Amino acid sequence: MTQQGVAPPAGRQGPGPLPRPLLQALDLRLARRSASPLPGEHRSPGVGQGTELTQLRPYEVGDDVRQLDAAATARTGEPHVRLHVPERALTTWIIVDVSPSMAFGTADRLKADVAHGVGLAVAQLAVRRGGRLAMLSFGADKPRLLPPSGGRGAVARVRRALDEGVAVDPEEPRAPDRTVLSRALTRIGKMAKASGLVVLITDFRDEDDWQRPLRRLSLHHSTVAVEVTDPRERELPAVGRLAVVDPETGRVVEVDTNRPGLRYKFAAAEADRRAALADDLRRAGVQHIELSTAGEWLRDLGRGLR
Amino acid sequence: MSFTAPLALLALLLIPLLIAAVWWRQKRPRRDVVRFPAASTLQSIVASEPRWPRYIAPALLGLAILALTLSFAKPERTVTVADRQASVMLVTDASGSMAATDVEPSRLEAVRTAANDFLEKVPEDLRVGAMSFAQTPLATTRPTTDRDAVRDLVDDTIANGGTGTGDALEVAIRAVRPKGEKDKDKPAAIVLLSDGRTTSGKNPAIVAQKAKQLRVPVYTVSLGTPEGTVPGNGAPFPVPPDPETMKRVAQVSGGKFYNVTDSSRLSEIYTRLGRQIGSHEEQRDMSVVFAAAGLLALLAALALAARRSPALP
Repeated sequence: MTQQGVAPPAGRQGPGPLPRPLLQALDLRLARRSASPLPGEHRSPGVGQGTELTQLRPYEVGDDVRQLDAAATARTGEPHVRLHVPERALTTWIIVDVSPSMAFGTADRLKADVAHGVGLAVAQLAVRRGGRLAMLSFGADKPRLLPPSGGRGAVARVRRALDEGVAVDPEEPRAPDRTVLSRALTRIGKMAKASGLVVLITDFRDEDDWQRPLRRLSLHHSTVAVEVTDPRERELPAVGRLAVVDPETGRVVEVDTNRPGLRYKFAAAEADRRAALADDLRRAGVQHIELSTAGEWLRDLGRGLR
Repeated sequence: MSFTAPLALLALLLIPLLIAAVWWRQKRPRRDVVRFPAASTLQSIVASEPRWPRYIAPALLGLAILALTLSFAKPERTVTVADRQASVMLVTDASGSMAATDVEPSRLEAVRTAANDFLEKVPEDLRVGAMSFAQTPLATTRPTTDRDAVRDLVDDTIANGGTGTGDALEVAIRAVRPKGEKDKDKPAAIVLLSDGRTTSGKNPAIVAQKAKQLRVPVYTVSLGTPEGTVPGNGAPFPVPPDPETMKRVAQVSGGKFYNVTDSSRLSEIYTRLGRQIGSHEEQRDMSVVFAAAGLLALLAALALAARRSPALP
């Protein structure tokens, strides 16, 4: 099943190699993150279903009698209960931006390539230990959902969906739809009942009102926001007069990049935008990882998850 | 301002074409655009800056087209040029009837004021002479650029005696066209003011023929109301003006006739004559001014275009 309105972007480089040792290291980090909040910090359904012992303690009224540990009770002469680390299959939700603005990159690869790579790495890690994987892509004409499933098939489906590319640029200038991210987050919030891991991969461009849904999501799930940027988006080079088109809206802006005032204003505005973004993410309680199209994104991902 | 070759103004149609070109350039879908996700940030920066600087160059170009087109149309300006060596005689009646007070404050007084206004208005290098007459010509100042001599004569005039308009006119003609002077192209004119019937000497209408021959227009002013009187022996003596004769003199000699019954009107007419006489209107070619302005605007537009950064790609 291919999606309409998406195509492999021109100049696609691919995410680059995903070396197994690096992925392995990333695995541990992700697992630690996703496991740690579950036992204590959140009341999780199905407590005590697991194999790993956390503690033996004297029975108290109200404890489940099925958890009585016969050996410990016999040894001490007092009823003891055995508590386990609750181990469940972890569901990982990948929310990936496939809007036209992702098809941009001036360094080693496109932003879409980095998003592709992050999606693949997370997908490969997610299906280990019986984990389940789901993906929602937004930014194209219609959001596309791959419902939670496990095994290698899930990774293959995610890979195929990511391979289809990103949304093509609009033919005609159009009004931007600045709510797609917020709608995607709300949708995941409704679907993901059990606590899981949510990985949001986007450039946070031309989006409004996503802060509240993201905060709500991060209350129930361990949430990571991966922001993909390009060095050229931070500051303009002095290359003369330039007619630039916004890939999302198709609107054309003419600027003279030789004017230092304009370049300075642009850099300041972008710095402000990113500062506000980091602030919003911190307030939402979301881990913020910044990946650039220049350099080794996989190392940066690992460093960010530490 | 007038144009010698107004057909060249058709080139002004280029200006709407220029405006259309600028408009079309902004509307047309761009091919040479660069995709840039941060375009919305740029948009907000550009929107916060004024738009007019981008229209300076097209506006200068339009201005250049306008000015150059106008210069092709050979614009001409009407200028008033003082006649060199022109001479004017102010011939003023000084007969007894000028003492009449039907014109405020008196006829003679009104003429003095008006003559001084006239002297104020005439071009500086115009030679002005003055003369007063009764039965016979009295004081005469030959045409000169010395205004004080004329002013003195006008101020010293006393109303007394009869009216010898014809003789006075003849003397005045001689004053502006001395005998033996062959050059009839030197502009000359006479302003003749009289307030009554000619009582002695030649018929002014016949003298006017001579003025016509010598190409001296006589501007005549008939001053006073029909009810004007001067104190006589016992009963007031009526001194009505004689506009008919004056009109004839003006017609014959090629001048103009004015009938005046109050002093402000008299001043007005003298002022107007002061502006007219001794100068004529000329058409001056102004193409150079417009061509220079057009070139300047063109150069400025070029300089702006050269300063503008080159476009990518």
